[in-house]
Amino acid sequence: MAIITKSNVLTGIKVREAMRSQVVRLFVGDSLNQCVRHAIKYKVNALLVADNNDHAVGVVSKTDLMSAYYAGLPLDLSLEAIMVGPPLCCSPDDPLEKALEYMSACGVHRLYVSEDDGKSVIGVLAYPDIVGLLYRLCRRCKRSLVSRKKVETVELFEEHIIAKEIMSLSVKAHLENETLFEIMEALSEYRFGAVLIRDKGNAPIGVVSKTDLIIAYRHGFSADTKAETIMSKPVRACRENDFLAEVIRQMIFSDVHRLFVHSEDSERITGVLSLTDAALVRSGSCKACTASRFLTPHG
Amino acid sequence: MKNTARAVMQTRFTMLSPHDTIKEAVIVLQSASKEHGRRVFGMMVTDQEGKLVGMLSMYDIFLFLRPKHIEIWGEMDDIDLTGLVGEALSRADTIRVGDVMTTSLISITPDTNLMMIVDIMIKKHVRRLPVLDGKEIVGIVFMSDVFDYLLEKFMQ
Repeated sequence: MAIITKSNVLTGIKVREAMRSQVVRLFVGDSLNQCVRHAIKYKVNALLVADNNDHAVGVVSKTDLMSAYYAGLPLDLSLEAIMVGPPLCCSPDDPLEKALEYMSACGVHRLYVSEDDGKSVIGVLAYPDIVGLLYRLCRRCKRSLVSRKKVETVELFEEHIIAKEIMSLSVKAHLENETLFEIMEALSEYRFGAVLIRDKGNAPIGVVSKTDLIIAYRHGFSADTKAETIMSKPVRACRENDFLAEVIRQMIFSDVHRLFVHSEDSERITGVLSLTDAALVRSGSCKACTASRFLTPHG
Repeated sequence: MKNTARAVMQTRFTMLSPHDTIKEAVIVLQSASKEHGRRVFGMMVTDQEGKLVGMLSMYDIFLFLRPKHIEIWGEMDDIDLTGLVGEALSRADTIRVGDVMTTSLISITPDTNLMMIVDIMIKKHVRRLPVLDGKEIVGIVFMSDVFDYLLEKFMQ
């Protein structure tokens, strides 16, 4: 009798194929200042914290650093004061789908990869790493946009996922004269990585992300500072009808984690699409892979 | 002259401030190369009192310019790189030298033996060493100068 199982493009792939082997780490006695510097320099959203025996004992994320900023903690405080531990780990031989489910169940954005229950860490797996893997699989596929462009048929393009199909509709916007305190409160409440900044005429003029906030923290800006002082500009955006594969490519090229999505009117922001959203689709960038998520017979 | 740092150190050098932006640092590196007639790959960073607080090398800048999802770039042979560095630098206009410089420093004195310098460079994977006389910066030793000096000595 045939056994029916669910499968998608990630089925059968192990954690070690998607993980990053560069793990940025500091020690419990290192300062928040050093942690911010490392997060900026190595472009990571979290750092592993080790004890004096070099055992991983905690994690400090940009969210933790932002909370320290909000609480007015001094930058010379040691990481021990704010780290969250122990780090959540998976094995390099775990199926990627199992790791994703564990991340989702625990409400975390990354798992550290260890062969000995977290004593020594050999890698890290975060949502953007899964997007990276999916993107590589997509590019190798005969049905990918890269291959298709040579064929140029409209009906084939219709199979591809577009931005508005998977974007998040809840975009939080704040005014340019609101304080960083208010921005941080909103980011904590809604668990967003960034908010849109609008001018008084309601036009989108910038973005304040957790990265912008921790840079402001290190540079000594008071949390009473207005958002316009530290926001990143211009707003990086794509159109609702842009292909997901192209949007991912744009994020990778521009080295950003999210793009805001606008309608035909570029000032009308209708959503936001992050690499995490793309990872949560858990198939490739076209509907050929989505189809593979349906029940498929094995055996 | 004894075979010490004094024999090979450069006493003309340009320095950066931790408050300079990365874009400004790149411009200073380029102009220093022209001014000194040699490619400058790294510089000392000093605070307002002239105290050495860090080193910024091309390696630090590369780390910062390196795309986050580098594993994908190896497969993107169709990507147009035009404007990539300019975009990265403009995106980084709030990032300062102090944010990315190396702060764990090894310094030497003018009297440090050349073989000790070679040993430090090998063990610590550094190509340039600041030379301090007390707290005062008096020079910088480049790996290439040490190499050229020793080669010349061996040839004699």
